[in-house]
Amino acid sequence: MKNRRRVKNKNGIANIYLVLVFLVLYAPIFYLMYYSFNSGGTMHKFEGFTLDYYREVVADTRLMIIVINTLVIALLSSAIATIIAVIGALAIHHVRSRRAKNTLLSLNNVLIVSPDVIIGASFLILFTIVGIKLGFTSVLLSHVAFSIPIAVIMILPHLQEMSPTLTDAARDLGATRRDVLTKVILPIIKPGIFSGFFMALTYSLDDFAVTFFVTGNGYSTLSVEIYSRARQGVSLSINALSTLIFLFTILLVIGYYYLNQRKSRPAVQIAEPVAEAGVPR
Amino acid sequence: MKQLVNTFLAILIVAFGLMFLASRLNSAQGYSGGNTLTIYNWGDYVDPDLLKQFQEETGITVIYQTFDSNEAMLTKVEQGGTIFDVVIPSDYAIAKMREENLLLPLDHSKLPNLANIDSKFMNLSFDPGNKYSVPYFWGTVGIIFNPDMTKGIDFSSWDSLWDKRLKNNIFLVDGAREVMGMALNSLHYSVNDTKEEHLQEALVKLNKLSPNVKAIVGDEVKMLLANEEAAVGIVWSGDASEIMDDNDKLDFVVPEEGSNKWFDNMVIPRTAGNVEGAHKFINFMLRPEVAAQNAEYVGYSTPNVPALKLLPEDISGDERFYPPAEITDRLEVYDNLGKRMLAHYNELFLMFKMNKK
Repeated sequence: MKNRRRVKNKNGIANIYLVLVFLVLYAPIFYLMYYSFNSGGTMHKFEGFTLDYYREVVADTRLMIIVINTLVIALLSSAIATIIAVIGALAIHHVRSRRAKNTLLSLNNVLIVSPDVIIGASFLILFTIVGIKLGFTSVLLSHVAFSIPIAVIMILPHLQEMSPTLTDAARDLGATRRDVLTKVILPIIKPGIFSGFFMALTYSLDDFAVTFFVTGNGYSTLSVEIYSRARQGVSLSINALSTLIFLFTILLVIGYYYLNQRKSRPAVQIAEPVAEAGVPR
Repeated sequence: MKQLVNTFLAILIVAFGLMFLASRLNSAQGYSGGNTLTIYNWGDYVDPDLLKQFQEETGITVIYQTFDSNEAMLTKVEQGGTIFDVVIPSDYAIAKMREENLLLPLDHSKLPNLANIDSKFMNLSFDPGNKYSVPYFWGTVGIIFNPDMTKGIDFSSWDSLWDKRLKNNIFLVDGAREVMGMALNSLHYSVNDTKEEHLQEALVKLNKLSPNVKAIVGDEVKMLLANEEAAVGIVWSGDASEIMDDNDKLDFVVPEEGSNKWFDNMVIPRTAGNVEGAHKFINFMLRPEVAAQNAEYVGYSTPNVPALKLLPEDISGDERFYPPAEITDRLEVYDNLGKRMLAHYNELFLMFKMNKK
């Protein structure tokens, strides 16, 4: 009895701690959302409810174009990066020598932890040397580039967890190389592919440092635009826009969660926890 | 496998659909037409209505892009990956761009409205003869203060900042030239002083200011001062007018010893694609009505004489922003001190920052 109460107590403290952590994390976001409805026009005194800033956001065509640009870049770059990452992960997985494999993995990880500013500046130099006009192409290429390593480390664990006997068995049963890939390997690493894709998506959506260097010719993404507007003090229309995007991402997360739930209901449960492997930000 | 392929196809379809939507919006705005003019300016530094008016008058579509520091702007222009037709940098950046051969000489015959500019803003050290640049706005560096919190301290001298009552109550702008210049001014030296002993003296004096300095900040200074986080700030006059719009308790003063006088000028970079349109735009901005409307919107001081007459008296008569000649004569423009001296200034400023407790 005594023992049980202690466990309960411990849980209580853990819960309080968890609630506190989430409060700290979410408070600024809710604060920002709250003031997006402020008719006073500033962030320090709430005067009355208004939807003016939402109207302003929707009426601002330039901003809308930038939002669309951001989404297009995020979707395209993460899709392309995931495809390349699948091939890359397969290649790394098939390397026999342990040392070579570790080297490749380390090189991949170095790209993840190396500062965005440096990646951005190098891309700017590269693009101007090669003669690529700054704009859609340059932004897309750089987003693809920095998303690949992230997708690779989301996919690799699934490959490593896959039992090698599965492919052997498939081959024994007469599957061609192609069949082994499309009917055995890809379905097994599918969760990794999806988590890689979503990881890349979020990276692309919020990247400022790299994008700042490679935007040009009137082409801009949301992070760059908000940053340059924020200089003038954050206008509440930025709050409104941030609120909309926050809701949009929540919808995405719910959708992803729902899809996963439905998919994992069938008898065979594919290892899921790997997807949560931490990625250094 | 099938699900993977389908998902990726769906993503592609959504992406291309969005791209189509964006291009529709773009063409509705006229952005994708051939006749465009790209302006690279500080954020929120022009009245958007004027851009619209310019578009209607000339049929040239304006693309407005922003930068947040002269250095960022220089990097982009130097790299040349993007076409900018009109850029609006500050004085020392113009000198640098001129040195590096990044600018196109202006065709003065296409700029008849240049005559509207006050002669004291023409032919300055960073661009003799205005071969490359046309004044856009000008201003000073001074002290903004909150009379409620400073108990009657008189800020007409830089020395007032060293007052013990201001402990932990001053915001400095994060600029080596501004802060070093202020210290040099307070010792009655020039903001362009390069004598080592004078600079060391300035550093010693700055270190004595440390206890009063609450923080060295960037653009957020405007918000912080408006919210009364500290009593005093060293800011550019344009920022001061914005802060005072938000919080009318505050007041601004340019100290007697002298200060910096800065200019933001319009230039045409060498990479410009629409030189004709760029000249048209510059001439348009020099029109008295336009310059007046812009000055009212942005809040900085216009160098345009007839525009000044069009401005309401409470703006043009405000000596804090349009100081009388005896003060402006004492103000100095930053000279381009050269790379090595600038590095030295930065180093001294850094030493001050590191010393700050």
